Amino acid sequence: MNISEKIHDAVSFATERIPLHKFDFYSVVHKKEVPVHKLSWAYYTGGLALFFFMIQLTTGLMLLFYYQPTVSDAHASVEYLTRHVPMGALIRNMHTWGSSGMIACVMVHMLMAFAMKAFERPREITWVTGVLLLLITFGFGFTGYLLPWHQIAVNATKVGLQSIEEAGRYMPGGLADLPRQFREIIQGEPSVGQATLSRFYVLHVILLPLSIFGVLGLHLLSVQLHGMSKGVDQPTKKTERFFPFFILKDFSLWGGAFLILFIVALCLPFESFFSFPLFQPYDALGSTPDGIKPEWYFYFVYYPLELLPFWLVMLGQTVAVGGLFAAPWIFKNTSRRSLSIIAGAAAAYLVISTIFGQAIYEMIKGVH
Amino acid sequence: MHTIRIPLTLAAFALLHVGATAHPEFQAWSQTNSGRFVNCAMCHAHPDGPEGVKAGQIGSLTPAEMLVLNEARAAFEPGKKIESPILNKFGNSIVEQLGRREVIALRPTPGALATKLDPAHDIDGDGLGDEREYREGTDPLDAQSGNPAALFRINFARQRFHILMIVLATACALYGLNHLLRGLHRVASRAQKSQAR
Repeated sequence: MNISEKIHDAVSFATERIPLHKFDFYSVVHKKEVPVHKLSWAYYTGGLALFFFMIQLTTGLMLLFYYQPTVSDAHASVEYLTRHVPMGALIRNMHTWGSSGMIACVMVHMLMAFAMKAFERPREITWVTGVLLLLITFGFGFTGYLLPWHQIAVNATKVGLQSIEEAGRYMPGGLADLPRQFREIIQGEPSVGQATLSRFYVLHVILLPLSIFGVLGLHLLSVQLHGMSKGVDQPTKKTERFFPFFILKDFSLWGGAFLILFIVALCLPFESFFSFPLFQPYDALGSTPDGIKPEWYFYFVYYPLELLPFWLVMLGQTVAVGGLFAAPWIFKNTSRRSLSIIAGAAAAYLVISTIFGQAIYEMIKGVH
Repeated sequence: MHTIRIPLTLAAFALLHVGATAHPEFQAWSQTNSGRFVNCAMCHAHPDGPEGVKAGQIGSLTPAEMLVLNEARAAFEPGKKIESPILNKFGNSIVEQLGRREVIALRPTPGALATKLDPAHDIDGDGLGDEREYREGTDPLDAQSGNPAALFRINFARQRFHILMIVLATACALYGLNHLLRGLHRVASRAQKSQAR
């Protein structure tokens, strides 16, 4: 195959995946149809993730007015915001609960898209950008966790960064030093301190939002160009138009989600689920309180890391992430039934490790 | 001058070691009873307790603060307003309510402290009394800390007007959207029928 044929193939691949000629008002508004079947509810999970992202963006902007990204003032500024600013506690709780909502929706959306084989040709780009969005969302969670600069934030970040460096021990040759270098870049100084906070702050409020805008734009464009995937093996008898019917139902769901989020944020402080010493200002010279753990959405990695050999967990994670990116090609000929079983097993693992992870850990280690 | 300073320093040193220690029995009981991790910051100004040289610990106190501390230590009977620099508001309120004599007497039975405190006393104003927060291992000084289910019930009752308003607003918006959706469906089905004709 000569170069011109390769270029031709690449252009035809890109044209099939991003058919920009379809991107006109008529196609998007009049022709886009959503299949109606027993799994139609899954089409709403992506919109719900987008809704939570918008909540995060709005509440995050509000929090920026008061937050001070310095190790001396970060905790105090968050405390001031929570205790003294009118509706500060509500906005902060909405941001905290919203982050959990966003991550839960992104995970459910991805599992359902996998089970429905939504990555089938020509939707590979939709899928790959979706996986990237999942990773960016986890990045938001990881970087945002440090910002309040309390005990659990700093100590959990230390553990997380330590795990990154440890991965180098299992990498071959010249690659072995990469995780350490990555940790140094992200940490900025020998221990987690001001440089780390500044970097996490920049990542959380500038770099990751810019990345998510770019990737989300491509993801949504791809969804608009190809429409919703059919989702089931049997031909669907019924469809409904995306504009205005599906999107109005989407908005209704957003209304319900906002109501629930508002009431939960107003009445149930996120911190009330944890021991209070974990939220005291970080003291590098003081004792570390018990119960340092990452956010719940990292439990599926955290508990295996506590119980299994590090290399095994890293291998599992690498295979899982690689498999996610390559799913459109790996599972090209796999039936939806088999994909549903894999997605169901993954969902069961996520739920069990998140809800019962601590109990399993205590049972195996014999500790309380 | 030196002849005065040496006895004063010795007295201060002696004070550091007589009755200066925290009462870890209360912390341990709260932790065991609640199943939550509790540290000295429940009652003390510093999370690592009163001994040491960091802010809120005895070694960091100025002579003036030492005098205030000694006054607080002398509050053996209840009812005396104290502001011990090594205690936080909850710690000071315990001494004010019970007096140091009773606090010391309760050390062998730390659970009884909860029954001795005024159940209506609520420093952070979150609706959960300080004695309940002590029993449940939550922070009596932080309204964001408390039993989640109880906090939800209390806040829901307190914010019922706002909740009612947001429910009404959402219901109106959903009604409007639903109405619009039905109207659009009707228009679409009419258009389909006319096309079929």
